[in-house]
This record gives sequence, C-alpha cells and structure tokens, in this order.
Amino acid sequence: MDRRRLLGAAGLAALAPVLAPKMAQAQDAPRYTVALIPGLTTDAFYITMNRGAQAAADALGVELVFQGAADFNPVTQVPVLDAVIARAPDAILIAPTDTTQLVEPLRRANDAGIPVITVDTFIGNGVYQTGAGDADFPLSYIASDNVLGGRIAARALANAIGGEGQVYVSNVNPGISTTDQREEGFKAAMAEEFPNIEVLETQFNENDANNAASQLQAVFARNPNLRGVFGANLFSAIGAANGVQQAGQTGTIRVVAFDAPQSIVDNIKTGLVDMAIAQHPATIGWYGVASAYAHLTGVAIPVAIGTGFTVIDASNVDDPEVAKFIYSE
Amino acid sequence: MASDASPAVAPPADHGAGRQTILQRVASLRAWLFLLALLVGFEAWARAAYGVTFLGNTFNLQSIAIFAVAPLLLATGQTFVIISGGIDLSTGFVMGLAAVVAALVVGWANAVLSPPFAVLMGVFAGVLVAGVPGLVNGVLVAFLKVPPFIGTLGMFGVARGVAFLLATGTTVPVSNPVLAQLGNGRLWGVPWIVIVTALFVLLMHYVLSQTRFGQHNYAIGANAQAARRAGIDIRRHLVRLYVLSSACAGLAGVLYTARFSAGAAQAGEPLILDSVAAVVIGGASLFGGSGTILGTVAGAFVIAVIQYGLVFVNVKPFWQFIAVGVVIIISVLIDQAQRAFAGGRQSE
Repeated sequence: MDRRRLLGAAGLAALAPVLAPKMAQAQDAPRYTVALIPGLTTDAFYITMNRGAQAAADALGVELVFQGAADFNPVTQVPVLDAVIARAPDAILIAPTDTTQLVEPLRRANDAGIPVITVDTFIGNGVYQTGAGDADFPLSYIASDNVLGGRIAARALANAIGGEGQVYVSNVNPGISTTDQREEGFKAAMAEEFPNIEVLETQFNENDANNAASQLQAVFARNPNLRGVFGANLFSAIGAANGVQQAGQTGTIRVVAFDAPQSIVDNIKTGLVDMAIAQHPATIGWYGVASAYAHLTGVAIPVAIGTGFTVIDASNVDDPEVAKFIYSE
Repeated sequence: MASDASPAVAPPADHGAGRQTILQRVASLRAWLFLLALLVGFEAWARAAYGVTFLGNTFNLQSIAIFAVAPLLLATGQTFVIISGGIDLSTGFVMGLAAVVAALVVGWANAVLSPPFAVLMGVFAGVLVAGVPGLVNGVLVAFLKVPPFIGTLGMFGVARGVAFLLATGTTVPVSNPVLAQLGNGRLWGVPWIVIVTALFVLLMHYVLSQTRFGQHNYAIGANAQAARRAGIDIRRHLVRLYVLSSACAGLAGVLYTARFSAGAAQAGEPLILDSVAAVVIGGASLFGGSGTILGTVAGAFVIAVIQYGLVFVNVKPFWQFIAVGVVIIISVLIDQAQRAFAGGRQSE
C-alpha cells in the first residue's frame, strides 16, 4: 500500500553523481527487486527512508517493495519478513526490531541466497562479515549512530541551559535498541562533559504523549530546578513540550527532540520545542538500495555506513539546506 | 464532586433497577473512597519522604485533571457500552481517527474561514467521522449478531488503517490560535479541555441516570430477554449506543489535536485498556447491568493519580508499571468481595 509513496528526492540530488555511471546503464541492466522492511510502517522516519530508497531505486532501475508491520515488534515483523522471503526478492533491506529474535528469521533469507542489509537497527552486535558469532551474515549496517545522536542532544541541551540544573530523559519503553542508545549517549555525555547538570530518573511513557506530558509536570512539581528534557522520540518530545507549556515554563525548561517530523518542526517555530536532532533517514534508504545494487552487480560494499545528524533550531529551521532534513513523504 | 456520588443511582423504572440501585450506590462510592485513600496515601508519602505537600499543590491537581481528560472521555462512552453487556475495543483508534480528521479539516478550513469557524468545522468533522465506525459497530452487533468483542476489534483495525492513510503514516500538524487556546488555554486557572470534559461528562451522567435511553441501557445489560419482552427496541438502542461511544472517543481525539497542535492516528492506542480499567474500577460489571458515570470518573482519576503520584514521589520507572497493575487488581478484588457480600441480597 505504500508503493504510492514514490517521488520527491530533492535532498538527495547532491548524492546522485556518485552513482551516475551506473545509472546510465540502468535501462538495459537486469531489473532487480529489493525489499525494504521498516521497523514499523507508521512512522515518519521510515516513510522518509522509503522516499530515499525509492529515489535510488528509480535512478538504478530497481523495483522497490516496501512492506512492514504497523508496530515495532518482532512478533509482527517476522511474518512480514517471511512473506517477503517467499516472494524471493534479489535483496532485503530491513530494520530488525530485535537484535536476537530476528537472527534466525533473517538467516532463512540468507540461506535462500537473498543478501541481507540492515538499516537503522541491527542484529547481533551490528558488526558484520567478521566470521564471529551467528549474526555476522548481513552484508552491511547502514544507520546513524544513535549513541552519538544522544551525545549531540546532550551537548545541545547543556548549552541551551548554560551547563547547570536538572534534566531528564523522556523515553518510550525500555528494550528498544535505538532509543536505549540515545539515552545511553545522552547520559554519558552529561556525566563526562557537564558536571553541574544532574540527570534525573528516566521516565517511560509507552509512546503516549498524554503520559509524557503528565510525567513532565510531576517531575517539575517535585524538582523546581528542572531546566531541560530530552524527548527520545516523537511522542516523548511533543508530550514533554506540552507538559512544559501546561506548567507555564516554556523557554525556562528547554526541550530537545530526537527526530524531525513536520509537527516537531512546527513546534520549533512556535517555541514549544527548542531543538531537534534530525537523522538522515532518506540518506539511509538511498544508500541501502544503492548498496544492494552494488552488491548485486558485483561491487563490494562497506560493512558499515554511518549517516549523520543535523541539529535544527529556530535559527536555522527556515534554511533550505536544513529544511531538507525534515522528515516527509 | 465525591459527595454527590449517591445520586448517581439509576433508574427507578425497570424491574431489575431496584436491586441495581443499592449495588451501584455502594460500588460507585467505593471507587471514590479508593481515590480518597490514594490521595491521602500520596500526601503522607510526599510529606514523609520529601517534606512537601502533594494535595496542597494546585499545580499537581491541574496536571492530574489534564492527564485524566482523554482516558475519562473514552471511559465515559465505554461505561454505557459495558453496562449494556458489551465492550467497545475500537475507541482507541476512533480517537486517533478523529484527531487526524480534526487536524486535516482545521488545516483546510484555515484557508477559507476565520479561525473560530475553522475550529468549529474541525470539531464537528472529527466527531462526525468518529460516529461512522460507531454506526458500523452498532449494525454489526445489533443486526448481524457479531459479538461486540470481535466486531469492535475489527473496527479497531479499520479505524487504525483509515487514520494512518489519512495522515500518510505520520502526525498531522495544525496551527490555529483558537484551537491552541482550546487545547492549552485556561479559564480562571482551569484548563479549557478540563471544563469541556467536565460539562460533557455531567451531560452523559444525566443521560445515563435520568433519561429513558439510560434506563433501557441498564435493562438490556441486566437481562436482554426481559428488556425485549418489555418492548425495548434493542437493536435500535445498540446502534445509538455504539455511536455514542464513538462520539466520546471523537471528542477525546479532537481535544488531543487541540492540545498537541497535531493529530496523531495512534493518539488513543495506549488508552484503550486504561479506559476499560477505569470503568471497572468505577464499579461497573463487565457482565453488564451495573455501573455509573460518576464511578467511572473516580476510576479514571484513580489511574491518573497513581501514574502522576508515582512520578511525583520518584518511584523507579519499572516499579511504576507494577504498581499500576497491582492497584487495578486490588480494586477489582475489592469489587468482587463486595459483590459476593451483596450477592445475598441480590438473589433474594
């Protein structure tokens, strides 16, 4: 159903020349089918990744299949994966929803001769093609470094509050590799670089903005010295921002959001959210398809590709060079 | 509010109602007592551990009221459905659907209408569209004899899919000063969304306890056969019932959009079970025939107070999960014991 989401890859135009020689041959090259299985289909991050992947697929003459489950859960992702394997695509790009539970299901694809590349999340320890362990068979791991993203968030928040006061992490649920890593990086940077900032207990909101807002109000009620909050995903951030607003503390308690869908960007413009750490999901999708194509045409690919971050705040949100990193269809 | 729990009682008109009255009065009161105990408990905890007041802090009370809005609205519709002996699992995503529709419609209407009218359009569109899955639920349950659990679970999926399709899988931001005022503004220190919810819930309390629709609802839940013989058009009632439940969810969705300046298809997903728990804590029986809106109000506040209070007294996050679950179980256990005790009277 998501095949409608083609088109539009302005942000990636700059990268196109890299593969330009290949593109010239795209018409007479064999037509490959590449499947992209996101962590969940209902998330602007993965929808943006699909846009980037589709841009590369169009350029290379590859057919892209985008199929996934509605929530981030191995129980619902594995049946989708099995159905995709049954259709025997030439390569699978997947954001595995669990580091261990997806190992065996993905091995079935590998055993069937379908190369596997993981995007955004990983299996095993994320280090592939080493001959060690039972989860080293994927060809490549293409993602932004979420620990680093958490560190960037910590530095941005610490600078905004002048390096002192209390902060906490508003997080989804424990056990999700990416959000756990963001929290880990945030806390590590705070501990190492900002001794005058106290990081309070993390609050888990189960992806419920209402709950995240209430938690912020409760934490603030007990800790009047609260100066900042790091929302580790979309609903954590918009919920925390609303809690700050309800508490009448907009501008005093700073809010850093991870990820940059349009609603967060709107909140930056109205001042509810101070800054957003944007990943580059379109780049991840683009390199995913391009790497699969390279492998299928006999070109060796790197075992890991790291994509970067962009910090969006009120000062640069209208700059087209920054706005292209806002997540969109 | 706690003091007028007793008039919550229902309908003198029906055969079963006389017995229900006593049970309901006790059950509804129990939820308020439970809430009171929780508040006192948190007050003592906050004073003992940190030397601060929990209840004396109006900021806490405001925050809890805001937190309770969405689960309470879902639970209000659910109270009607559960009293009738059914259940409505679709409300979580009906809420999301309404949130997305309201955001989209306000967005479109912004271009042609002045802000207040754009909001009015959005609110009507959100609640109206929410009524559609309710209508389908009602027809499925009333005319096609689909068990409510299954029929509404089906609509849960349909509403979810439609909401995500309309929202293209992401959140739908919307900007309108009147909508923002509705979502986050205050009147004499009370948030507008709390005022709107309180008025709506009072209206629903009146509908359930004072109108023929409410009486029929108890009668059908207590004994559908007898209700039919008494001449109640059960099928028509059920259709209206599920539309009402969806409309409650629709209002919750619209208020969500107002509050967060964005419609999200998954807005109500985490609230489904909380809303059912609020109804049960409030004294309704999952087997139908008993329950009150004022009991449900207490039930929703019990959940809100626990979740807010545990953060306030700084309980470690993982213990919060356990505590919320344990409190729900304890509350229902008390309810069971009470029913066993009251059962003697009932079976006379």
